[in-house]
Formats: sequence, structure tokens, C-alpha cells
Amino acid sequence: MKSAVQPYSRTDVEPGLTKIILFEIVFPMILLILGITMGLLQVLFRAGIIKSQSFLGINYYQGLTLHGAINAIVFTTFFAVAFGHAVIRFYTGKPLLLGAAWWSLILMTGGTIMAAIPMLTGSASVLYTFYPPLKAHPAFYIGLVLLVIGSWVAFFSWIPVFQKWKRENPATKMPLAVLGVFATFIVWFIATIPVAIEIIVLLIPWSLGWTQTVNVPLARMLFWFFGHPLVYFWLLPAYVMYYTMLPKLTGGKLYSDFAGRFTFMWLIAFSAPIGIHHQYTEPGISTTWKFVHAFFTMLVAIPSLVTAFTLAASMEHGARKSGGTGLFGWWKKLPWLDTDRWMFAYLFCGLFIFIFGGITGIINASYSLDNVVHNTAWMPAHFHQTVAGPVFLAFIGGSLLLISTLGGKEIALKRLNVWIPYLWTLGIMVFSTGLFIGGIAGEPRRTNMGLSYTNPASPLYQPSWNVARVAGTIGGVIMFLTVLLYFVIFFGTLLRKKSSAGVLELPVTEPYHDEDIVALQSLRPWLVATVILLIVAYTMPFVELAKARYEGAPRYSPASPVALRK
Amino acid sequence: MTTATIGIEKRIVVTAALFVLTLTGVIAMSVKVFGFGLPTCLTDVRPFRDGKVITQAPKRYEVHYLARMWRFEPADISIPPGSTADIYLSTADVTHGMQIIGTNINLMAVPGAVNYARVKFDQPGEYLVVCNEYCGIEHHQMAARIHVTDRAAAPPPPPVAEAALGGQELLDKYACTACHSLDGSPMPGPTFKGLYGSKRTLADGTTAVADDAYLLESIEKPNAKTVKGFDPLMPETTIPPAEMRAIIQFIKTVK
Repeated sequence: MKSAVQPYSRTDVEPGLTKIILFEIVFPMILLILGITMGLLQVLFRAGIIKSQSFLGINYYQGLTLHGAINAIVFTTFFAVAFGHAVIRFYTGKPLLLGAAWWSLILMTGGTIMAAIPMLTGSASVLYTFYPPLKAHPAFYIGLVLLVIGSWVAFFSWIPVFQKWKRENPATKMPLAVLGVFATFIVWFIATIPVAIEIIVLLIPWSLGWTQTVNVPLARMLFWFFGHPLVYFWLLPAYVMYYTMLPKLTGGKLYSDFAGRFTFMWLIAFSAPIGIHHQYTEPGISTTWKFVHAFFTMLVAIPSLVTAFTLAASMEHGARKSGGTGLFGWWKKLPWLDTDRWMFAYLFCGLFIFIFGGITGIINASYSLDNVVHNTAWMPAHFHQTVAGPVFLAFIGGSLLLISTLGGKEIALKRLNVWIPYLWTLGIMVFSTGLFIGGIAGEPRRTNMGLSYTNPASPLYQPSWNVARVAGTIGGVIMFLTVLLYFVIFFGTLLRKKSSAGVLELPVTEPYHDEDIVALQSLRPWLVATVILLIVAYTMPFVELAKARYEGAPRYSPASPVALRK
Repeated sequence: MTTATIGIEKRIVVTAALFVLTLTGVIAMSVKVFGFGLPTCLTDVRPFRDGKVITQAPKRYEVHYLARMWRFEPADISIPPGSTADIYLSTADVTHGMQIIGTNINLMAVPGAVNYARVKFDQPGEYLVVCNEYCGIEHHQMAARIHVTDRAAAPPPPPVAEAALGGQELLDKYACTACHSLDGSPMPGPTFKGLYGSKRTLADGTTAVADDAYLLESIEKPNAKTVKGFDPLMPETTIPPAEMRAIIQFIKTVK
């Protein structure tokens, strides 16, 4: 289907920046081939189709570490930085600080390679949450720190560019996309401070043998201070695309500019003071503070509910402008399989999956309900409907958009390309349904079940978990095959001959209602609120930990119950 | 832009806020009215190093679970239906999880701290207890069982004398089976299946026959000889001679 709407606006970009963005898209995409393959192996191991510790020389837990670290940390961080470069360049119309952008790229790439080596050689099989006292090779921790610092460098380099734009355009509102990118990286900055303290102060000296023990409850609280804003760092670039691209792709406008600004500001304030909802079942934190974090977590659902309304209204506006009528008839006028406006399908499918990811997120946050689902297969089902749903689809769609426009290349296999998000949605929904059912039945996550719970030869065999693992496996295989097709399209596009000069092309949405709300004009009050909320939420939990004086834990290898001497 | 449109967006924000506040109210009610809670901060119980069941009164138990790579102690307990158990959870090494399938008990075992929850077992049956937090390469084997049965109402049998334990029980007692399988499946240490009498290729390229002397040395001085393809991870353990004989006798039978 050919589209009548031309949704893209263009900007010329300096060749240096084009190179940087293309590298930051292609490098993690190559790693993603490994990360996705590890994902396929997970479902085969768990279903008992592979009944062994290792497959192709990669241990189950080593593969799980690679799957999490590549897909959820490396791919997401690189894309967020590349996308940020593109958005800031596009909306300010000003050249970026290329020197800083190169340093950012070098630090992130060096850190990734440094962390990948111990993961690939099996000396960092601690999963991407690296809970002590399981110890990884020091290079794993140092590599993660470099990756994070590299992303900070990019963020800080955008601030003077924006300030210059602001001086020249004092009366203009900050473009919504720029606000979204800044929100993404403010959340990331808040998140990465506690994890930097965990890694640099607690884990690196301990892993090098300079300190002998580590305070595990403290390390865990610092980790989850990072762990929840981390998921909003993943989600926010997708939100930027939803608010600033999706309405244009339907032929319409953003229903409310206020909704977008409110969403980004609110997520800055509430994404971090809620980390203890990951620690409901732990000792060392009193129920009072668990409840406070539960309440704040409920508040962080508000902008997502608002987003659901605003985007539905925006899509309806676009569809009606394209001739849609009736209460539901306008749905037929959305560009479902439009090969020019193919990004619509990537974004819409992500939103569809996120309905379920969002609802299950509210369930997980619901305090005592977590007793039923904590650390079960329910959890990976939930976050495959979030980070592997809206986030993944927006990021692979965004990656394809950037390489095709900046590279001046036509997208390969256009008709197949528009089907990718629908196939992925099918895979995710089947996979997650299996894991939700299994999780309710008690199936643990992160477990090589083929050697025990799904192995008829094992005394631990649980035949009642079979339905769940069959669905999980079918869904996982559909997801894997879909990504293989995506890789054919992505690399097919990348390796094509240039058909035009590379320019940056993005769909740019105008607001339908451009409200002027004083409270949303400046970031400053929201940053103050953020700091106050963090102090309220975390002071007493840290005081409780300090008072309890927990005994430290020595180093352990995942392979032995005997503590390591060094 | 008209005031009416701001009105619509504001209504959406207010509706969303009311929705999540209602959910928070329902949660608060479930805690206050029905007593569905979460574990809290416990500082008056120090981490313990032995798992045990303490009978406080008929149908009232205190269970001290010690989680360790890669088992729970006690691994198997029996209590009568209608029993209430106070579960305390401590870890001997890394972080573990403990979920009693079919109940609301789902606890993290965090080094340095002790976790607590209370559970009432009304339905008779066998409850599976799984470790649900990654704790090393044998995590998937870490499980225990709780038998809720009327027979458990009878006084427990007198404790079995240590020396009377069979070879297989001794392998469990000394945690040998955490790293050595009996069925040939790959684990961190060599399997016991078919071990006795076999020719072993060592890490330095030499070979040795796994006879009685080899087994004895390998248990007493674990890292004197390391089999090719394995890491010298095994700790030294002092085992009384009678038990050592029983262990070696048992290993000989694993074919």
C-alpha cells in the first residue's frame, strides 16, 4: 500500500556525526545477533529440549548473562545515545560537539568489549544483575563503568548545544522530543549514580581482592536504586517516538502537548524513588518503606495511563483526517501495512504489547501480591512485554530508520518489513502467556530447568509446568525467527548501494492542543521535586541498613560452594 | 486552544490518579484486613549456620532453613495438616531465593540478614520448595520438600547414629553430590558413575587408575591430582575413618 501522506522532515547532517550514529547503531546490532541467539537457547534449555549444562560450549547461566547484558544494557544504551544525537541535532538545527561524541563512542565501545571478554570466556557468569557475593572478573565491572561514563559524556555534550539554541529562541518552548531525550538522560544519570557507587566503591575493590568482604544488603539496595529508573531509561526513547512520530505517521497531530510534557516531567520525578518494589521479599527493609515505595510505584503508572489516552486520541485524529468514520470504523484508516509509513506498525505493536506489560507491572508493584510472582517465570514474561515489547520494537524500528535515511539507502524487502512487528507481537504474546502461567504455578525464572523441573528423569520433575513451557518455547521460536528476518532487512539495507545523499529524516508531529501550562515550562521545579522524593524515599532505608551492621560476605565463584581466597 | 480541551486532559490525569489511588487503597486493605503482608526488617535474629525444625507446641513449629549452594537444610520435613510454621531463612554463602510452591511464602536469603515469614499448612500433601534466585551453576538442582501428613503427628523417630548412615546419605551429608553426579550428568566435579577402576587422565597429561588408594587420596587431599577438564575447586574435609570406608564402598557401587 502506498501512502498519501509524506510524514518525513529532513535535515542535513555533518559526515562525522553520521559516522558516529551509524557505528552506534550497527555495532550493538552485531552483538544483538549473539544476544538473541542466547535468548533462543534459554527457551530450549528451559523446556528440556537441551538437557545439559552447556550447549556449543556456552553454559546456560553464561548465555543468560550475555542475553541480559547485550540486549538490555549494551543495545539499549548505544541506541539511546545514537537516538539522542539525532534528535538534538535535528531539533536544534545546530552541529553537535563532535569531539565529545567521539569520546563517548570510544568509551562505550571499549567498555562493552572489556565486559564482553570475561562474559564470553565464562569468568563473569553472574547475570546482568551481578548480585554479590557471586563475583565476576574485575574487567566485567570496569567495562560496565566505562559504558556508563561514555553515555554521560554524550549527554553532557548536548547541554551547551541546547543552551545555545535557547539563547537564540528565547520565546520558543523546548521541543517535546528534546525534552524527552533530556528526560531519558536525566533519569539515566540519577540511576547510574547509585550503581556507580555500588560498582566502584563496593564491587571493584572486592573483586580485585583489596577488600575481603562486601555488604550484600547495601549492594542490593544501591543496585535497585539503579534498577528501576533503568527501565524508564529504556522506555523513554520509545515514548519520545510515540509522542513525536506516531501521530504524524497516522496523518494527524499530537492530541495534547501538555500530556507529553507532563509524562516526561512526571517520569523524571517518580522513576527512581520506587526501587524497593524490587525488594519486597527481602529481609533488612521494614514494611513501612516497602509500602511507601509501593505507593510511589502506583504514581509512576499515571503518565502511562495518560499516554494511552493521548496516543489513542492522536491516532483517531489522524485516521479521521484520512477519511475514517464511525465509532470504531476509523481504525481501518490507520497505516497498518503502509510500506512508506512502516514505523507506524513498529510503534503501534509496541503500544499494544505495553497494555499487558503495564497491567502486569501494576500487579508486580502491588505489595503483597509480589509474594505470588517474585522471581518466578512471571517476571521475565512481564519484562519481555515491556523492554522486549515497546522498547525493543521502537529501538529496532528507530535503528532501521536511522541507517536508511542517514545512509541514503532504500529499505530492503519493504513488504516483509511491515510484517516484522506483527510477527514479533505474536511471538511475545505466546511466549509471555506461557511464562505467566508457569510463573503463577511457581516455575522459577533464571533456572536451567531442563536438568531438573522439566526433566522426566529428575526427581524434581514437575509435569504440571508443561503447558507453560510449550507456550514459552513456541513463542520464543517465533520471536527468534522474526528477528532473523529483521536482521536480513537491516543488514540488507545497510549493505545496499547508496541511492541518495544521506540526510536525517524524522517524522515530526505538531500538537493539536498546544497548551501553555506554567508548571511544565521549566525543568527546574521538577528536578527539585525529584531530589526531595529521593531523600524521602531512601534516607530511612539506608539508615536501617547502617544500623543493622550486617556481616560482610566473601567472594564466591558461581562454580563452587567454597568461598574464594582471592 | 480552548479551556475545554485543557479540561479533557486534566480529567484524564485526575482519572488516572484516582485509579491508582484506588489500587493503593485495595492493597492497604489487603494488608490491614486480611493480613497479607511482606517480610519486614528483622535485626534481633543473627544469621545461623544450621537448619532445624523446632516443635514449640502441637502443630506449632519453628523451621530454620539454611540455604547454601546448592541445597536447603533441612531438605525434607514432615508436619501434620493444620500446622503453623514460623520460617526463618539464612544463607551460608551467596544470595538464594526460597519459594514454597502452593503457598504465599516467597523469601530472599540475603547474606548477613535473616528473613522471616509465617505459614499455615491446611492441605495435606507434598510441597515443593525451590530456590528461585540464581546461586551458581547448580542452581536448578536446589530444592527441598515439606510433607504435610498425619503421620508426622507421631513423635519423630530417634535420631540415627551417624556411623549408621549409608554411603549415599554420607555423600549428601558432606555435600559431595553438590558437585559430583551419580548418573553421569555433567557437574563441576567428575561423576561417580563408572568411576571406580577407570583410567583417569589428569590435568598434567599423566594417567592414574581410580582404585581405593586413588579415591582415598582424592577425598583427603582433593587437589593432589586434578582430572583433565576440571578445576581444582574441592575443599578439604575431615571425615572419620568409618564414614570414609562407607563412602568409598558406595562409590564403588555406582556403575
